[in-house]
Amino acid sequence: MSGRWRAMGVATAFLRLLREGLDAGLELPEAIARAGSALPRDAQDTLAAALRRLEGEHTEDEWGYDEEFARSAEPLLTFAYRRWWRVHAEGVRRVPAHGRALLVANHAGFLPWDATMISMALLREHPLPRQPRFLVLDWAFELPFVSTVIRRLGGVSASPYNALRLLGQDQLVAAFPEGPRSTAKPYRERYRVQRFGRGGFVELALRTGAPIVPVAVVGSEEIYPKMAELPQLSRLVGTPFFGVTPTFPWLGPLGLVPLPSRWRIEFCEPIDTARYGPEGAEDRTLVLELSERVHDTVQQAVYENVVRRGRAFY
Amino acid sequence: MVCPAGRRVLITGVGSRLGQTLAARLENDPEVEFVAGLDTRRPREPLGRTELIDADIRDPVITTLIPPLEVDTVVHNQIVRRPGPRMSSRAMHDTNVIGSLQLLAALEKAPTVRTVVVRGSAGVYGAEPSAPQFFGEEMARLFPLRSRFQRDVAEIENYFETYSRRHPEAVCTMLRYQPSIGSSTDTQVTRYLTLPACPTYLGYDPRIQLIHETDAVDALAAAVRRPVRGPVNVAGEGTIGLARMVHRAGRATVPIAGPLFGAVVGAARRAGMADLSEDFRRLLRYGRAVDVTRLVEEVGFRPRLSTPDAVAAWADARHAAAKERAT
Repeated sequence: MSGRWRAMGVATAFLRLLREGLDAGLELPEAIARAGSALPRDAQDTLAAALRRLEGEHTEDEWGYDEEFARSAEPLLTFAYRRWWRVHAEGVRRVPAHGRALLVANHAGFLPWDATMISMALLREHPLPRQPRFLVLDWAFELPFVSTVIRRLGGVSASPYNALRLLGQDQLVAAFPEGPRSTAKPYRERYRVQRFGRGGFVELALRTGAPIVPVAVVGSEEIYPKMAELPQLSRLVGTPFFGVTPTFPWLGPLGLVPLPSRWRIEFCEPIDTARYGPEGAEDRTLVLELSERVHDTVQQAVYENVVRRGRAFY
Repeated sequence: MVCPAGRRVLITGVGSRLGQTLAARLENDPEVEFVAGLDTRRPREPLGRTELIDADIRDPVITTLIPPLEVDTVVHNQIVRRPGPRMSSRAMHDTNVIGSLQLLAALEKAPTVRTVVVRGSAGVYGAEPSAPQFFGEEMARLFPLRSRFQRDVAEIENYFETYSRRHPEAVCTMLRYQPSIGSSTDTQVTRYLTLPACPTYLGYDPRIQLIHETDAVDALAAAVRRPVRGPVNVAGEGTIGLARMVHRAGRATVPIAGPLFGAVVGAARRAGMADLSEDFRRLLRYGRAVDVTRLVEEVGFRPRLSTPDAVAAWADARHAAAKERAT
């Protein structure tokens, strides 16, 4: 309990300093760097390194994934994983240790925090840690800073071509087939997993013979509880929707700081697709059936974990 | 395809560095019996046996000049990528679109043609935030055509596709080049990298993909030797982040917030400092990379330098040249 209160204290101090810095007319990166003095030592180093990386020398693979950047962001994400959201991960070992695989998860919140937490679960708790590449909704790549950070952490735009190429390279790929439907739903519909598109992700798995691992994420629904929507504003800003949460847009960019809910991530039993062969991708019935099966598995696991988690915030 | 002995080749845009290098290479190829070059510009260095035809590609007169040459191979290398100091964007459009039309009109009257290789542009894919990380050849029409140059390239591709349908006996290769870099090349990229400071979009660090000038010529020569039907992407393997590329070139980035970028670059242009085309600005924001599997496996050519290596080679060559001038 005390650890969590301390974490909250650190976070509020960080936010207060950040606010003061911005009010004093500092640039955002500089303000972040200043406010970093409120953080624990290791997180401070990380922040400084991350800010340096954002402008300077770094190494990237052909996808724009930057291992060094990802590693330097790890302590910050570890902080989020262990103290902010107190993530409990289950069934991590069900994720294949090598070779291609497609993780299919429910999604909530309009920044891909759930993707980063799934990565953290695999990096921290898998016997052979793997960095998944995740498919991110296209419009995130139009945003400054966000697009760059997401890409360097292993995100790619949610194009089937990207998924095919990544799976072809025997990578671990995470997909969120609910798409924008899940981001736009109001708070009262939380944990109702939306329709899984047209089952495109199943086609990808069938074509590449990659097993599908359903993943249920609980906790992400509370980080940005959406109270209302302002479609006029969304048109103005150019985002697919513009949600109002208890903190956003009232606190400006600070409203984007996610609330500290308690999280559970469960990796379910993998579904083998290799036995249907690549021709299976042409079979509409099979595709829809598998898609439905994955959807139900995720929904079921989500409900179970909501119950097991208990209260959302404390 | 096996090359028939005694090939007769026509190169358009032979006055460009790339056209000239290719002509010199073909002159030394024993399998090539005859080389003709079409351009209004004179090659900077004199060529050997290449027969120079001093005519404007936009001029209908080429319809009477080309058929008597009895060429079997045509390399179309006169697609202009940027409006230069002496070329308005209007003239560029004319050269690209009307020039290609005139060339195809001339080819209709030249029944000996069996191979057509076009040095096109990967600009046809555009630069999009939601683009696949690697464009394959079949993905040319995923997004709306946004800039004039992009529309021009798409139109040129259409003309050559139509030609290829009407003439099944001729193999028509559309090479889609990523921007090239090299010490004897003057492209938008090299101009950008030699600015006193390089403007970038604040918060964006796109993946850029380039091809080294030597590989650019070799790819063209490889396609002449082994043409394949349809589009083929041409680029150095891998990508490089924009900031890293600028730093490797020994320059500093000047991040400018998106909404102000146009105004700042516009002011720089009026001051005669930088001229970044619409395509290039989109490239600076969103980047673009292509898949080169077809080039490697079907044309049988693998670029020697990857994109990061090409940038390094260019930067080192410049550095060495600057040192030499200083001493």
